[in-house]
Amino acid sequence: MQQDLPLVRMVNINKRFGAVEALNNVSIEVRQKEVLGLLGDNGAGKSTLIKILAGVFPPDGGEIYFNEEPLKFSCPKEARARGIETVHQELSLVDMMTISRNFFLGREPTKGIGSIALLDKKKMDKECRRVIAEIGIRVRSPNEYVSILSGGERQAISIGRAMYFGAKLLILDEPMNALSVKETRIVIGHIEKARKLGTSIIFITHNVYHVYPVADRFVILDKGLKIGEFDKKEVETKDIIEMIARGKV
Amino acid sequence: MDNVDTGIGRVKENLSLSLSRIRRWPEFGVILAFSTIFMVFSLLAPKFVTLRNLTGVFTIVSELGIITIGVAFLMIAGEFDLSVSSVYALSGFLFVTLANSFNSLLALIITLVAAACIGFLNGTITLRAGIPSFITTLGTMMFLRGIMLAVTGGRSVVYNGDLIVPTMLTRFIGRGFRPSHIWFLALALFFSLILTRTRYGNWVFATGGKKEVARAMGVNVNRVKVVNFMISSVMAGLAGCIVINRFGVANASFGMGMELEAIASAVIGGTFLMGGYGTIIGAFFGAFLMGMMRTGLVMVGAPAYWYQAFVGAILVIAATINIKLRRLEM
Repeated sequence: MQQDLPLVRMVNINKRFGAVEALNNVSIEVRQKEVLGLLGDNGAGKSTLIKILAGVFPPDGGEIYFNEEPLKFSCPKEARARGIETVHQELSLVDMMTISRNFFLGREPTKGIGSIALLDKKKMDKECRRVIAEIGIRVRSPNEYVSILSGGERQAISIGRAMYFGAKLLILDEPMNALSVKETRIVIGHIEKARKLGTSIIFITHNVYHVYPVADRFVILDKGLKIGEFDKKEVETKDIIEMIARGKV
Repeated sequence: MDNVDTGIGRVKENLSLSLSRIRRWPEFGVILAFSTIFMVFSLLAPKFVTLRNLTGVFTIVSELGIITIGVAFLMIAGEFDLSVSSVYALSGFLFVTLANSFNSLLALIITLVAAACIGFLNGTITLRAGIPSFITTLGTMMFLRGIMLAVTGGRSVVYNGDLIVPTMLTRFIGRGFRPSHIWFLALALFFSLILTRTRYGNWVFATGGKKEVARAMGVNVNRVKVVNFMISSVMAGLAGCIVINRFGVANASFGMGMELEAIASAVIGGTFLMGGYGTIIGAFFGAFLMGMMRTGLVMVGAPAYWYQAFVGAILVIAATINIKLRRLEM
Protein backbone atom coordinates (compact mmCIF):
# COMPACT_ATOMS: atom_id res chain seq x y z
CA MET A 1 0.00 0.00 0.00
CA GLN A 2 2.96 2.25 0.69
CA GLN A 3 4.21 1.29 -2.71
CA ASP A 4 2.38 4.07 -4.54
CA LEU A 5 3.33 6.83 -2.17
CA PRO A 6 6.42 8.73 -3.26
CA LEU A 7 9.45 8.48 -0.97
CA VAL A 8 10.29 12.15 -1.32
CA ARG A 9 8.25 15.13 -2.44
CA MET A 10 9.82 18.54 -2.80
CA VAL A 11 7.10 21.10 -3.39
CA ASN A 12 7.58 24.62 -4.79
CA ILE A 13 11.17 24.94 -3.64
CA ASN A 14 12.68 28.42 -3.93
CA LYS A 15 16.26 29.43 -3.33
CA ARG A 16 18.07 32.66 -3.94
CA PHE A 17 21.77 33.47 -3.67
CA GLY A 18 21.94 37.25 -3.67
CA ALA A 19 20.61 38.40 -7.02
CA VAL A 20 20.64 34.90 -8.51
CA GLU A 21 17.45 32.93 -8.43
CA ALA A 22 18.89 29.42 -8.13
CA LEU A 23 15.54 27.65 -7.86
CA ASN A 24 12.15 28.98 -8.87
CA ASN A 25 9.16 26.97 -7.62
CA VAL A 26 10.71 23.62 -8.43
CA SER A 27 8.72 20.51 -7.46
CA ILE A 28 10.01 16.99 -7.85
CA GLU A 29 9.11 13.63 -6.44
CA VAL A 30 11.08 10.46 -6.09
CA ARG A 31 9.09 7.24 -6.05
CA GLN A 32 9.93 4.09 -4.13
CA LYS A 33 12.77 2.08 -5.65
CA GLU A 34 13.22 4.24 -8.69
CA VAL A 35 16.22 5.87 -10.25
CA LEU A 36 15.46 9.49 -11.05
CA GLY A 37 17.83 11.17 -13.46
CA LEU A 38 18.16 14.86 -12.56
CA LEU A 39 19.53 16.55 -15.64
CA GLY A 40 20.48 20.04 -16.66
CA ASP A 41 23.35 22.14 -17.91
CA ASN A 42 25.88 23.73 -15.55
CA GLY A 43 24.13 26.27 -13.34
CA ALA A 44 20.68 24.77 -13.85
CA GLY A 45 20.13 24.36 -10.11
CA LYS A 46 20.60 20.59 -9.80
CA SER A 47 23.19 20.78 -7.06
CA THR A 48 21.28 23.46 -5.15
CA LEU A 49 18.17 21.29 -5.18
CA ILE A 50 19.87 18.22 -3.79
CA LYS A 51 21.90 20.19 -1.29
CA ILE A 52 18.63 21.40 0.15
CA LEU A 53 17.43 17.83 0.30
CA ALA A 54 20.66 16.69 1.96
CA GLY A 55 20.43 19.43 4.60
CA VAL A 56 23.43 21.46 3.46
CA PHE A 57 21.32 24.63 3.47
CA PRO A 58 17.61 25.37 3.97
CA PRO A 59 15.27 26.47 1.14
CA ASP A 60 13.88 30.03 1.12
CA GLY A 61 10.44 28.64 0.49
CA GLY A 62 8.65 25.38 -0.17
CA GLU A 63 8.07 22.08 1.57
CA ILE A 64 9.81 18.74 1.67
CA TYR A 65 8.06 15.50 2.56
CA PHE A 66 9.87 12.25 3.29
CA ASN A 67 7.46 9.32 3.38
CA GLU A 68 4.75 12.02 3.55
CA GLU A 69 6.27 13.44 6.74
CA PRO A 70 7.26 17.10 6.55
CA LEU A 71 11.02 17.62 6.91
CA LYS A 72 13.04 20.48 8.29
CA PHE A 73 16.75 19.76 8.13
CA SER A 74 19.38 21.97 9.60
CA CYS A 75 22.42 19.81 8.90
CA PRO A 76 23.62 16.91 6.78
CA LYS A 77 23.89 14.76 9.88
CA GLU A 78 20.12 14.85 10.44
CA ALA A 79 19.45 14.07 6.82
CA ARG A 80 21.70 11.06 7.07
CA ALA A 81 19.97 9.92 10.23
CA ARG A 82 16.75 9.77 8.19
CA GLY A 83 18.43 7.68 5.52
CA ILE A 84 19.33 10.33 2.96
CA GLU A 85 22.91 9.66 1.86
CA THR A 86 24.87 11.70 -0.65
CA VAL A 87 27.80 10.55 -2.75
CA HIS A 88 29.65 13.55 -4.16
CA GLN A 89 31.92 13.42 -7.12
CA GLU A 90 35.13 14.15 -5.24
CA LEU A 91 34.04 14.76 -1.71
CA SER A 92 33.41 11.37 -0.23
CA LEU A 93 36.73 9.93 0.86
CA VAL A 94 39.94 11.23 2.43
CA ASP A 95 42.98 9.98 0.49
CA MET A 96 45.38 9.93 3.40
CA MET A 97 43.16 7.73 5.55
CA THR A 98 42.58 4.00 5.39
CA ILE A 99 39.47 2.55 3.79
CA SER A 100 38.04 1.42 7.09
CA ARG A 101 38.65 4.78 8.79
CA ASN A 102 36.94 6.49 5.85
CA PHE A 103 34.10 4.04 5.84
CA PHE A 104 33.06 4.91 9.36
CA LEU A 105 34.06 8.59 9.34
CA GLY A 106 31.61 10.53 11.48
CA ARG A 107 29.86 7.32 12.54
CA GLU A 108 32.65 5.41 14.19
CA PRO A 109 31.58 2.47 16.34
CA THR A 110 33.08 2.54 19.84
CA LYS A 111 33.40 0.25 22.77
CA GLY A 112 33.84 1.49 26.27
CA ILE A 113 36.88 0.71 28.37
CA GLY A 114 36.11 2.23 31.72
CA SER A 115 34.70 5.64 31.01
CA ILE A 116 36.57 6.23 27.73
CA ALA A 117 35.05 5.21 24.43
CA LEU A 118 37.64 3.71 22.12
CA LEU A 119 37.19 2.93 18.45
CA ASP A 120 35.95 -0.58 17.90
CA LYS A 121 38.63 -1.32 15.33
CA LYS A 122 37.85 -5.00 15.11
CA LYS A 123 34.28 -4.25 14.15
CA MET A 124 35.34 -1.49 11.75
CA ASP A 125 37.74 -3.79 9.92
CA LYS A 126 35.38 -6.74 9.89
CA GLU A 127 32.36 -4.86 8.58
CA CYS A 128 34.43 -2.92 6.08
CA ARG A 129 36.11 -6.08 4.82
CA ARG A 130 32.69 -7.66 4.32
CA VAL A 131 31.36 -4.68 2.33
CA ILE A 132 34.52 -4.52 0.21
CA ALA A 133 34.11 -8.20 -0.61
CA GLU A 134 30.46 -7.69 -1.53
CA ILE A 135 31.35 -4.81 -3.80
CA GLY A 136 34.07 -6.90 -5.34
CA ILE A 137 37.06 -4.63 -4.92
CA ARG A 138 40.38 -6.38 -4.71
CA VAL A 139 42.43 -4.85 -1.92
CA ARG A 140 44.54 -6.71 0.58
CA SER A 141 42.90 -5.21 3.62
CA PRO A 142 40.55 -2.48 4.80
CA ASN A 143 43.66 -0.85 6.22
CA GLU A 144 44.95 0.09 2.80
CA TYR A 145 44.97 3.80 2.07
CA VAL A 146 42.23 5.22 -0.13
CA SER A 147 44.86 6.92 -2.29
CA ILE A 148 45.70 3.59 -3.95
CA LEU A 149 42.11 3.12 -5.18
CA SER A 150 40.86 4.06 -8.61
CA GLY A 151 38.04 6.54 -9.14
CA GLY A 152 35.55 3.76 -9.76
CA GLU A 153 36.59 1.86 -6.65
CA ARG A 154 36.16 5.02 -4.59
CA GLN A 155 32.63 5.55 -5.89
CA ALA A 156 31.83 1.90 -5.29
CA ILE A 157 33.00 2.19 -1.69
CA SER A 158 31.02 5.41 -1.19
CA ILE A 159 27.89 3.73 -2.51
CA GLY A 160 28.61 0.62 -0.44
CA ARG A 161 29.00 2.80 2.64
CA ALA A 162 25.69 4.56 2.02
CA MET A 163 23.96 1.20 1.64
CA TYR A 164 25.65 -0.18 4.75
CA PHE A 165 24.23 2.69 6.78
CA GLY A 166 20.76 1.95 5.52
CA ALA A 167 20.22 4.59 2.85
CA LYS A 168 16.60 4.93 1.82
CA LEU A 169 17.44 7.65 -0.65
CA LEU A 170 20.81 7.72 -2.35
CA ILE A 171 21.84 10.98 -3.98
CA LEU A 172 24.61 10.58 -6.54
CA ASP A 173 26.12 13.90 -7.52
CA GLU A 174 27.93 13.51 -10.86
CA PRO A 175 29.27 10.12 -9.80
CA MET A 176 30.97 9.28 -13.08
CA ASN A 177 32.62 12.48 -14.16
CA ALA A 178 36.17 11.30 -13.69
CA LEU A 179 35.68 7.64 -14.56
CA SER A 180 36.85 5.50 -17.44
CA VAL A 181 34.31 3.73 -19.64
CA LYS A 182 34.90 0.41 -17.91
CA GLU A 183 34.56 1.90 -14.47
CA THR A 184 31.40 3.71 -15.47
CA ARG A 185 29.86 0.38 -16.31
CA ILE A 186 30.90 -1.09 -12.97
CA VAL A 187 29.40 1.83 -11.06
CA ILE A 188 26.15 1.43 -13.02
CA GLY A 189 26.12 -2.16 -11.75
CA HIS A 190 26.39 -0.92 -8.17
CA ILE A 191 23.56 1.54 -8.70
CA GLU A 192 21.32 -1.21 -10.03
CA LYS A 193 22.18 -3.40 -7.10
CA ALA A 194 21.29 -0.61 -4.69
CA ARG A 195 17.91 -0.18 -6.38
CA LYS A 196 17.23 -3.91 -6.12
CA LEU A 197 17.85 -3.66 -2.39
CA GLY A 198 14.98 -1.17 -2.23
CA THR A 199 16.75 2.18 -2.30
CA SER A 200 15.50 5.13 -4.31
CA ILE A 201 18.17 7.01 -6.18
CA ILE A 202 18.58 10.54 -7.49
CA PHE A 203 21.28 10.60 -10.11
CA ILE A 204 22.55 14.07 -11.00
CA THR A 205 24.49 14.67 -14.16
CA HIS A 206 24.71 16.81 -17.27
CA ASN A 207 25.72 13.80 -19.30
CA VAL A 208 22.61 11.91 -20.36
CA TYR A 209 24.62 8.89 -21.50
CA HIS A 210 25.70 8.28 -17.90
CA VAL A 211 22.19 8.17 -16.53
CA TYR A 212 20.05 6.88 -19.39
CA PRO A 213 20.93 3.18 -18.93
CA VAL A 214 19.80 3.09 -15.30
CA ALA A 215 17.13 5.74 -14.93
CA ASP A 216 13.36 5.15 -14.79
CA ARG A 217 12.41 8.79 -15.08
CA PHE A 218 14.06 12.11 -15.86
CA VAL A 219 13.61 15.62 -14.55
CA ILE A 220 15.22 18.39 -16.54
CA LEU A 221 16.15 21.72 -14.98
CA ASP A 222 17.22 24.90 -16.68
CA LYS A 223 18.18 28.18 -14.98
CA GLY A 224 16.35 27.27 -11.79
CA LEU A 225 13.14 26.12 -13.51
CA LYS A 226 11.84 22.63 -14.05
CA ILE A 227 11.31 22.42 -17.79
CA GLY A 228 10.34 18.80 -18.17
CA GLU A 229 9.59 15.47 -16.52
CA PHE A 230 9.46 12.23 -18.49
CA ASP A 231 9.22 8.49 -18.16
CA LYS A 232 12.00 6.68 -19.90
CA LYS A 233 9.69 5.26 -22.58
CA GLU A 234 8.59 8.73 -23.61
CA VAL A 235 12.04 10.05 -24.54
CA GLU A 236 15.31 9.08 -26.14
CA THR A 237 18.76 10.33 -25.29
CA LYS A 238 18.87 12.73 -28.23
CA ASP A 239 15.60 14.37 -27.16
CA ILE A 240 16.99 14.98 -23.71
CA ILE A 241 20.24 16.42 -25.05
CA GLU A 242 18.23 18.75 -27.24
CA MET A 243 16.14 19.89 -24.29
CA ILE A 244 19.19 20.54 -22.11
CA ALA A 245 20.94 22.43 -24.89
CA ARG A 246 17.98 24.60 -25.85
CA GLY A 247 16.65 25.07 -22.33
CA LYS A 248 13.08 24.25 -23.35
CA VAL A 249 10.90 21.28 -24.28
CA MET B 1 70.19 -28.34 -4.56
CA ASP B 2 66.66 -27.36 -5.46
CA ASN B 3 65.59 -27.75 -1.87
CA VAL B 4 68.32 -25.46 -0.67
CA ASP B 5 67.38 -22.89 -3.26
CA THR B 6 63.71 -22.80 -2.36
CA GLY B 7 64.64 -22.81 1.30
CA ILE B 8 66.76 -19.74 0.88
CA GLY B 9 64.12 -18.27 -1.37
CA ARG B 10 61.49 -18.74 1.27
CA VAL B 11 63.66 -17.18 3.96
CA LYS B 12 64.34 -14.24 1.69
CA GLU B 13 60.65 -13.89 0.96
CA ASN B 14 59.75 -13.97 4.63
CA LEU B 15 62.45 -11.49 5.40
CA SER B 16 61.35 -9.03 2.76
CA LEU B 17 57.73 -9.49 3.83
CA SER B 18 58.47 -8.66 7.44
CA LEU B 19 60.73 -5.84 6.31
CA SER B 20 57.96 -4.35 4.25
CA ARG B 21 55.65 -4.71 7.22
CA ILE B 22 58.05 -2.88 9.53
CA ARG B 23 58.63 -0.27 6.86
CA ARG B 24 54.94 0.53 6.94
CA TRP B 25 55.09 1.67 10.54
CA PRO B 26 54.71 5.40 10.40
CA GLU B 27 57.46 5.71 13.03
CA PHE B 28 59.97 3.56 11.16
CA GLY B 29 62.02 6.42 9.73
CA VAL B 30 62.44 8.34 12.94
CA ILE B 31 63.20 5.28 15.06
CA LEU B 32 65.87 4.25 12.55
CA ALA B 33 67.42 7.73 12.62
CA PHE B 34 67.18 7.83 16.41
CA SER B 35 68.90 4.47 16.83
CA THR B 36 71.65 5.32 14.35
CA ILE B 37 72.50 8.62 15.99
CA PHE B 38 72.25 7.08 19.44
CA MET B 39 74.78 4.43 18.44
CA VAL B 40 77.13 6.94 16.85
CA PHE B 41 77.18 9.06 20.01
CA SER B 42 77.63 5.99 22.21
CA LEU B 43 80.68 4.97 20.21
CA LEU B 44 82.24 8.43 20.00
CA ALA B 45 81.54 9.67 23.51
CA PRO B 46 82.10 7.12 26.27
CA LYS B 47 80.13 9.13 28.79
CA PHE B 48 77.09 9.43 26.54
CA VAL B 49 75.47 6.19 27.70
CA THR B 50 75.46 6.94 31.38
CA LEU B 51 72.33 7.27 33.45
CA ARG B 52 73.36 10.76 34.46
CA ASN B 53 73.71 11.98 30.92
CA LEU B 54 70.63 10.21 29.61
CA THR B 55 68.38 11.60 32.32
CA GLY B 56 69.84 15.01 31.59
CA VAL B 57 68.90 14.57 27.94
CA PHE B 58 65.48 13.38 29.01
CA THR B 59 64.94 16.59 30.99
CA ILE B 60 65.57 18.84 27.98
CA VAL B 61 63.65 16.49 25.69
CA SER B 62 60.61 16.49 27.95
CA GLU B 63 60.27 20.25 27.75
CA LEU B 64 60.63 20.38 23.97
CA GLY B 65 58.67 17.15 23.56
CA ILE B 66 55.56 18.31 25.38
CA ILE B 67 55.41 21.29 23.02
CA THR B 68 56.03 18.98 20.07
CA ILE B 69 53.11 16.73 20.96
CA GLY B 70 50.70 19.68 20.86
CA VAL B 71 52.23 21.08 17.69
CA ALA B 72 52.08 17.71 15.92
CA PHE B 73 48.49 17.11 17.01
CA LEU B 74 47.52 20.47 15.52
CA MET B 75 49.58 19.95 12.36
CA ILE B 76 47.77 16.69 11.69
CA ALA B 77 44.53 18.69 11.76
CA GLY B 78 46.06 20.90 9.07
CA GLU B 79 47.12 23.98 11.02
CA PHE B 80 50.33 25.54 12.34
CA ASP B 81 51.13 27.08 15.69
CA LEU B 82 54.20 29.31 15.70
CA SER B 83 53.11 31.06 18.87
CA VAL B 84 54.07 28.12 21.12
CA SER B 85 57.47 29.61 21.93
CA SER B 86 55.92 32.86 23.13
CA VAL B 87 53.18 31.04 25.02
CA TYR B 88 55.94 28.97 26.63
CA ALA B 89 57.78 32.05 27.86
CA LEU B 90 54.61 33.95 28.81
CA SER B 91 53.26 31.00 30.78
CA GLY B 92 56.46 30.73 32.76
CA PHE B 93 56.30 34.38 33.53
CA LEU B 94 52.65 34.35 34.47
CA PHE B 95 53.14 31.30 36.64
CA VAL B 96 56.05 32.79 38.60
CA THR B 97 54.28 36.08 39.08
CA LEU B 98 51.10 34.41 40.34
CA ALA B 99 52.83 31.72 42.40
CA ASN B 100 54.91 34.36 44.19
CA SER B 101 51.76 35.84 45.66
CA PHE B 102 49.28 32.91 45.70
CA ASN B 103 49.30 29.14 45.92
CA SER B 104 51.42 27.59 43.16
CA LEU B 105 48.79 25.03 42.14
CA LEU B 106 46.27 27.79 41.61
CA ALA B 107 48.92 29.69 39.64
CA LEU B 108 49.48 26.65 37.42
CA ILE B 109 45.77 26.25 36.74
CA ILE B 110 45.28 29.93 35.92
CA THR B 111 48.34 29.83 33.65
CA LEU B 112 47.07 26.84 31.71
CA VAL B 113 43.63 28.41 31.34
CA ALA B 114 45.28 31.56 30.02
CA ALA B 115 47.24 29.46 27.54
CA ALA B 116 44.02 27.77 26.44
CA CYS B 117 42.51 31.21 25.83
CA ILE B 118 45.44 32.15 23.59
CA GLY B 119 44.91 28.91 21.65
CA PHE B 120 41.22 29.67 21.37
CA LEU B 121 42.05 33.12 20.00
CA ASN B 122 44.54 31.68 17.51
CA GLY B 123 41.94 29.24 16.25
CA THR B 124 39.04 31.64 16.15
CA ILE B 125 40.99 34.38 14.39
CA THR B 126 42.34 31.89 11.84
CA LEU B 127 38.89 30.52 11.02
CA ARG B 128 36.91 33.76 11.20
CA ALA B 129 39.36 35.91 9.28
CA GLY B 130 40.13 33.12 6.86
CA ILE B 131 43.88 33.72 7.00
CA PRO B 132 46.45 30.91 7.18
CA SER B 133 47.30 29.89 10.73
CA PHE B 134 50.95 30.37 9.84
CA ILE B 135 50.23 34.10 9.69
CA THR B 136 47.86 34.27 12.66
CA THR B 137 50.26 32.50 14.97
CA LEU B 138 53.30 34.33 13.61
CA GLY B 139 51.39 37.44 14.63
CA THR B 140 50.55 36.19 18.12
CA MET B 141 54.11 34.95 18.53
CA MET B 142 55.53 38.40 17.85
CA PHE B 143 52.77 40.21 19.71
CA LEU B 144 53.09 38.20 22.91
CA ARG B 145 56.89 38.29 22.89
CA GLY B 146 56.87 42.02 22.30
CA ILE B 147 54.42 42.68 25.13
CA MET B 148 56.44 40.53 27.47
CA LEU B 149 59.72 42.26 26.69
CA ALA B 150 58.09 45.68 26.97
CA VAL B 151 56.43 44.95 30.30
CA THR B 152 59.40 43.28 31.96
CA GLY B 153 62.08 45.40 30.35
CA GLY B 154 64.10 42.20 30.01
CA ARG B 155 64.39 41.72 33.78
CA SER B 156 64.07 38.21 35.21
CA VAL B 157 61.66 37.24 37.96
CA VAL B 158 62.83 34.80 40.62
CA TYR B 159 60.50 32.11 41.89
CA ASN B 160 59.88 32.18 45.63
CA GLY B 161 56.55 30.43 45.91
CA ASP B 162 55.69 27.11 47.57
CA LEU B 163 56.94 23.65 46.63
CA ILE B 164 53.68 22.06 45.41
CA VAL B 165 54.06 22.61 41.69
CA PRO B 166 57.87 22.30 41.62
CA THR B 167 57.44 18.87 43.22
CA MET B 168 54.73 17.93 40.74
CA LEU B 169 56.77 18.99 37.73
CA THR B 170 60.52 19.02 38.15
CA ARG B 171 62.07 18.16 41.51
CA PHE B 172 64.31 15.09 41.32
CA ILE B 173 62.63 11.83 42.21
CA GLY B 174 65.81 9.77 42.33
CA ARG B 175 68.61 8.66 40.02
CA GLY B 176 68.35 11.83 37.99
CA PHE B 177 64.75 11.31 36.98
CA ARG B 178 62.21 14.10 37.26
CA PRO B 179 58.40 14.15 37.21
CA SER B 180 58.57 16.03 33.90
CA HIS B 181 59.89 12.84 32.28
CA ILE B 182 56.78 11.02 33.41
CA TRP B 183 54.55 13.87 32.26
CA PHE B 184 56.14 13.72 28.82
CA LEU B 185 55.74 9.95 28.53
CA ALA B 186 52.19 9.98 29.85
CA LEU B 187 51.10 12.84 27.59
CA ALA B 188 52.66 11.17 24.55
CA LEU B 189 50.81 7.94 25.28
CA PHE B 190 47.58 9.78 26.05
CA PHE B 191 47.56 11.82 22.84
CA SER B 192 48.69 8.85 20.81
CA LEU B 193 45.69 6.96 22.15
CA ILE B 194 43.36 9.86 21.39
CA LEU B 195 44.69 10.15 17.86
CA THR B 196 44.68 6.51 16.88
CA ARG B 197 41.95 4.94 18.98
CA THR B 198 39.15 7.46 19.44
CA ARG B 199 36.50 9.03 17.24
CA TYR B 200 38.04 12.42 17.87
CA GLY B 201 41.35 11.18 16.49
CA ASN B 202 39.63 10.01 13.34
CA TRP B 203 38.09 13.47 12.97
CA VAL B 204 41.51 15.09 13.41
CA PHE B 205 42.95 13.02 10.55
CA ALA B 206 39.95 13.76 8.34
CA THR B 207 40.01 17.48 9.13
CA GLY B 208 43.65 17.72 8.12
CA GLY B 209 43.33 15.29 5.23
CA LYS B 210 40.41 16.90 3.42
CA LYS B 211 38.19 19.14 5.44
CA GLU B 212 35.38 19.30 2.86
CA VAL B 213 34.95 15.53 3.08
CA ALA B 214 35.10 15.62 6.86
CA ARG B 215 32.42 18.32 6.89
CA ALA B 216 30.23 16.41 4.45
CA MET B 217 30.48 13.37 6.69
CA GLY B 218 29.20 15.36 9.65
CA VAL B 219 32.47 16.25 11.38
CA ASN B 220 32.52 19.71 12.96
CA VAL B 221 35.89 20.65 11.45
CA ASN B 222 36.02 24.14 12.94
CA ARG B 223 35.54 22.79 16.42
CA VAL B 224 38.25 20.18 15.87
CA LYS B 225 40.65 22.90 14.76
CA VAL B 226 39.92 25.28 17.63
CA VAL B 227 40.23 22.47 20.18
CA ASN B 228 43.58 21.47 18.70
CA PHE B 229 44.81 25.07 18.79
CA MET B 230 43.90 25.11 22.47
CA ILE B 231 45.69 21.81 23.11
CA SER B 232 48.79 23.12 21.39
CA SER B 233 48.78 26.25 23.53
CA VAL B 234 48.12 24.43 26.79
CA MET B 235 50.96 22.00 26.10
CA ALA B 236 53.30 24.91 25.42
CA GLY B 237 52.07 26.54 28.62
CA LEU B 238 52.77 23.39 30.61
CA ALA B 239 56.25 23.10 29.11
CA GLY B 240 56.87 26.74 30.05
CA CYS B 241 55.85 26.07 33.65
CA ILE B 242 58.13 23.03 33.75
CA VAL B 243 61.20 24.90 32.56
CA ILE B 244 60.56 27.79 34.94
CA ASN B 245 60.25 25.39 37.86
CA ARG B 246 63.54 23.79 36.91
CA PHE B 247 65.42 27.09 36.69
CA GLY B 248 63.55 28.98 39.38
CA VAL B 249 63.73 32.06 37.19
CA ALA B 250 61.50 33.43 34.42
CA ASN B 251 62.75 35.64 31.63
CA ALA B 252 60.94 37.14 28.66
CA SER B 253 63.52 35.81 26.22
CA PHE B 254 63.00 32.12 27.10
CA GLY B 255 62.26 29.69 24.32
CA MET B 256 62.99 31.85 21.29
CA GLY B 257 63.10 29.71 18.17
CA MET B 258 61.56 26.77 19.98
CA GLU B 259 58.49 26.83 17.73
CA LEU B 260 60.67 25.80 14.80
CA GLU B 261 62.40 23.12 16.83
CA ALA B 262 59.00 21.69 17.73
CA ILE B 263 57.81 21.76 14.12
CA ALA B 264 61.11 20.20 13.01
CA SER B 265 60.70 17.45 15.62
CA ALA B 266 57.19 16.73 14.44
CA VAL B 267 58.30 16.58 10.80
CA ILE B 268 61.28 14.35 11.64
CA GLY B 269 58.75 12.17 13.45
CA GLY B 270 56.76 11.70 10.25
CA THR B 271 54.03 14.35 10.52
CA PHE B 272 53.02 15.90 7.20
CA LEU B 273 53.53 19.64 7.03
CA MET B 274 50.22 20.03 5.21
CA GLY B 275 48.28 17.88 7.66
CA GLY B 276 46.28 14.69 7.43
CA TYR B 277 49.03 12.38 8.51
CA GLY B 278 51.34 11.93 11.46
CA THR B 279 51.90 10.15 14.73
CA ILE B 280 52.49 11.23 18.29
CA ILE B 281 54.96 8.42 18.95
CA GLY B 282 56.90 9.71 15.95
CA ALA B 283 56.85 13.22 17.40
CA PHE B 284 58.07 11.75 20.68
CA PHE B 285 61.13 10.25 18.99
CA GLY B 286 61.59 13.36 16.87
CA ALA B 287 61.88 15.48 20.00
CA PHE B 288 64.20 12.91 21.53
CA LEU B 289 66.44 13.02 18.51
CA MET B 290 66.70 16.80 18.74
CA GLY B 291 67.53 16.79 22.45
CA MET B 292 70.02 13.98 22.01
CA MET B 293 71.80 15.89 19.25
CA ARG B 294 72.23 18.88 21.47
CA THR B 295 74.07 17.10 24.29
CA GLY B 296 75.63 14.43 22.09
CA LEU B 297 77.43 16.90 19.88
CA VAL B 298 78.82 18.74 22.86
CA MET B 299 80.02 15.46 24.35
CA VAL B 300 81.85 14.37 21.24
CA GLY B 301 83.61 17.70 21.37
CA ALA B 302 81.89 19.57 18.52
CA PRO B 303 81.34 23.31 19.08
CA ALA B 304 77.76 24.06 20.09
CA TYR B 305 77.09 25.83 16.81
CA TRP B 306 77.19 22.53 14.95
CA TYR B 307 73.93 21.62 16.59
CA GLN B 308 71.86 23.79 14.25
CA ALA B 309 73.73 22.62 11.18
CA PHE B 310 73.17 18.97 12.06
CA VAL B 311 69.53 19.48 12.92
CA GLY B 312 69.02 21.19 9.57
CA ALA B 313 70.61 18.30 7.70
CA ILE B 314 68.68 15.68 9.65
CA LEU B 315 65.42 17.53 9.12
CA VAL B 316 65.81 17.40 5.36
CA ILE B 317 67.03 13.79 5.32
CA ALA B 318 64.26 12.60 7.64
CA ALA B 319 61.54 14.42 5.72
CA THR B 320 62.80 12.85 2.48
CA ILE B 321 62.88 9.35 3.95
CA ASN B 322 59.43 9.80 5.46
CA ILE B 323 57.85 10.91 2.21
CA LYS B 324 59.48 8.03 0.33
CA LEU B 325 58.18 5.54 2.88
CA ARG B 326 54.66 6.94 2.65
CA ARG B 327 54.70 6.77 -1.14
CA LEU B 328 55.12 3.02 -0.81
CA GLU B 329 51.62 2.70 0.54
CA MET B 330 49.76 5.84 -0.48
